Amino acid sequence: MRRKNRSRPVEVSVVTRAVVAKSSGILLQTFGNPLIRKELRQRMRSVRSILALSMYLLAMGAIAFIFMYLNVQGQTLLLQPTRTAELFTFLSYLQLAMISFVTPGIAAGVISGERERQTLTVLLTTPLTPLTIIVSKWLASISFLSLLIVMTLPLYSIVFLFGGVVPSQVIAVFWLQLVTLGAIATISVFWSTFIQRTGWATVLSYGTVAVIYILLGIAGYLIDGVAAHNPDASAWTDAATLCYALNPLFMLASIVERFGLITPVYHNTLAASLFSSVDAHHLASSGSWFLFLTVYLAGSVVLLGACAWRLRPGAFSVFMRRLLSWVAR
Amino acid sequence: MIRIENLCKKYGRFEAVKNLNLDVRDGTVFGFVGENGAGKTTTLSILATLLRPTSGRAFVGGEEVTRNPSAVRRQVGYMPDSFGVYDDLTVREYLAFYGTAYHVAESLIESRTRDLLHRVNLEDKVDAYVNTLSRGMQQRLGLARSLIHDPPVLILDEPASGLDPRSRIEMKDLIKGLRDQGKTVLISSHILPELAEMCDEIGVIQNGSLVACAAVEIVTARANGQRMLGFELLEGGRLLGERLRPNPLVTEVVVQGEQRVEVLFSGSERQQVELIRELSLAGYAIKGVSEVAGSLEELFLRLTESDTKSAQIAQPENALPASRVV
Ligand SMILES: Nc1ncnc2c1ncn2[C@@H]1O[C@H](COP(=O)(O)OP(=O)(O)OP(=O)(O)O)[C@@H](O)[C@H]1O
Ligand SMILES: [Mg+2]
Repeated sequence: MRRKNRSRPVEVSVVTRAVVAKSSGILLQTFGNPLIRKELRQRMRSVRSILALSMYLLAMGAIAFIFMYLNVQGQTLLLQPTRTAELFTFLSYLQLAMISFVTPGIAAGVISGERERQTLTVLLTTPLTPLTIIVSKWLASISFLSLLIVMTLPLYSIVFLFGGVVPSQVIAVFWLQLVTLGAIATISVFWSTFIQRTGWATVLSYGTVAVIYILLGIAGYLIDGVAAHNPDASAWTDAATLCYALNPLFMLASIVERFGLITPVYHNTLAASLFSSVDAHHLASSGSWFLFLTVYLAGSVVLLGACAWRLRPGAFSVFMRRLLSWVAR
Repeated sequence: MIRIENLCKKYGRFEAVKNLNLDVRDGTVFGFVGENGAGKTTTLSILATLLRPTSGRAFVGGEEVTRNPSAVRRQVGYMPDSFGVYDDLTVREYLAFYGTAYHVAESLIESRTRDLLHRVNLEDKVDAYVNTLSRGMQQRLGLARSLIHDPPVLILDEPASGLDPRSRIEMKDLIKGLRDQGKTVLISSHILPELAEMCDEIGVIQNGSLVACAAVEIVTARANGQRMLGFELLEGGRLLGERLRPNPLVTEVVVQGEQRVEVLFSGSERQQVELIRELSLAGYAIKGVSEVAGSLEELFLRLTESDTKSAQIAQPENALPASRVV
């Protein structure tokens, strides 16, 4: 009797330990793997990247300082919360633009570059799995800009110390930038894997970013136009919401809309009428955010998986066979 | 150790490898010879799990390459025919990266790096950036890299291409050393004499099929009737050539100058002794006579011709006889 009772917990603990060991093994393989270490070493070693990092921080800091100084004319007491909000908005848009421009340049060469330099074959004969290679490359390509985003956080915090911005806005902008960075990097890695040449991969990556920012905006605007003349407009409105919700620019506007760019001054411009749709479509709602995050995060997972498959066709069937035998066991 | 069964590989409709069968025994060095486009790289890539065969099977250490590629990868050190290196990495970091990729313990990596760099003669370059090394040095580093996880099997695709004569000899010695360590080596080249010096067995691939395969000793033994003899003289090479041409046992005479004459000799060893004595008595200033290893190519050609009608290896332009390569 007693023995029987005792055997249970032992089994459970063995299973738990096996699961923990397995999952931590996978985590270690992904995050502590030699490829990431090597990539970071290569990237961070050059003086260029350190220089770029400090220059960027300096520039952002200078912009913030000048902006605030001009506003208060040297008298801190005169600082108005709306002005800080404007600065916050400006910095957020600037950083989003920087991310969107720089990421394809970094990430569109990660696989095609290895192909062109003939280092990919050797990499593929090592025990590193295609998924590890892709994920490591992806992580390495976003490492630099993630660092930038994190390092500008204190700057935002200073801005919000002066009032006019709530912490949740800062956090939302931070995550928006991070997700956008990850998504653009995924798209670039995708083109880099499927297109042989880095040049073309870069062009296609920028093209895709342009589609997301410009075409989705225009499409939403046009669909809005159709909806305005349609008695049964809900389907059209939903379509427009989808277009806007997938556009990081509009999502950013939904975080900062009450301030900054959309002030009465811009009321009659196209930009103002475009951004007014942010309000009309409730982009700040949790539904839109859910849409934005799901599409980009799930899309990233699917695309990176496709890249791993493309890197070594056939690896997938081996993986499935392993998975089946693992499950059977 | 390595077994290939009915291997086929098609690129579109083009058959690069057709029904290839091959067996490389444990601890032997197998030489894979063929002209450009014969299918050497394709076959080796399949063994290195880089390409999937259209049909047929290939095993390394008992593991099938498509069913269990990761087990194969752990056992194989592969060196592609052309490869690049990374920027911004030192030689030490380069080897350490691949070492950790193969799950070699950190402590082992250090000692192995030292040992391997010593073997490929790059000790003084440990802290140099890999992209600043010369082509030949990168080639040697590539060999060191393929050995970092101490694999039992080595697959080397034209490892000597791009090396200077000295490094070629060192590469040869290195590979012989690997065999002495008990490793199985599959090595491709389009220069037969060079391969013959370090291989136990030679296979000739042509248009994607293995047209001939024989142990090096068998090659020499079976070709006993046809040996290339090199005569070293003080002077009078031309005269010796004239004298030897009518000899029924001599099928071919190549006068390479006053000091050297090479002949294709089909007599027995006793007849060879007789000939040398006769020539010496006749007053030719013969310093020495030796068998030329470089004749292997022609011998192999003859052999394979008798085996299969189609077998013909064209001698590549840059393939000098071994005696001159050295
Ligand atoms: N990716 C490819 N697509 C189409 N055909 C290919 C491809 N790779 C090789 N081939 C063809 O397959 C044949 C065999 O090529 P392979 O590279 O195996 O030759 P090889 O024996 O290694 O030649 P070399 O001595 O020049 O290295 C060649 O005719 C080549 O044109
Ligand atoms: Mg080749």
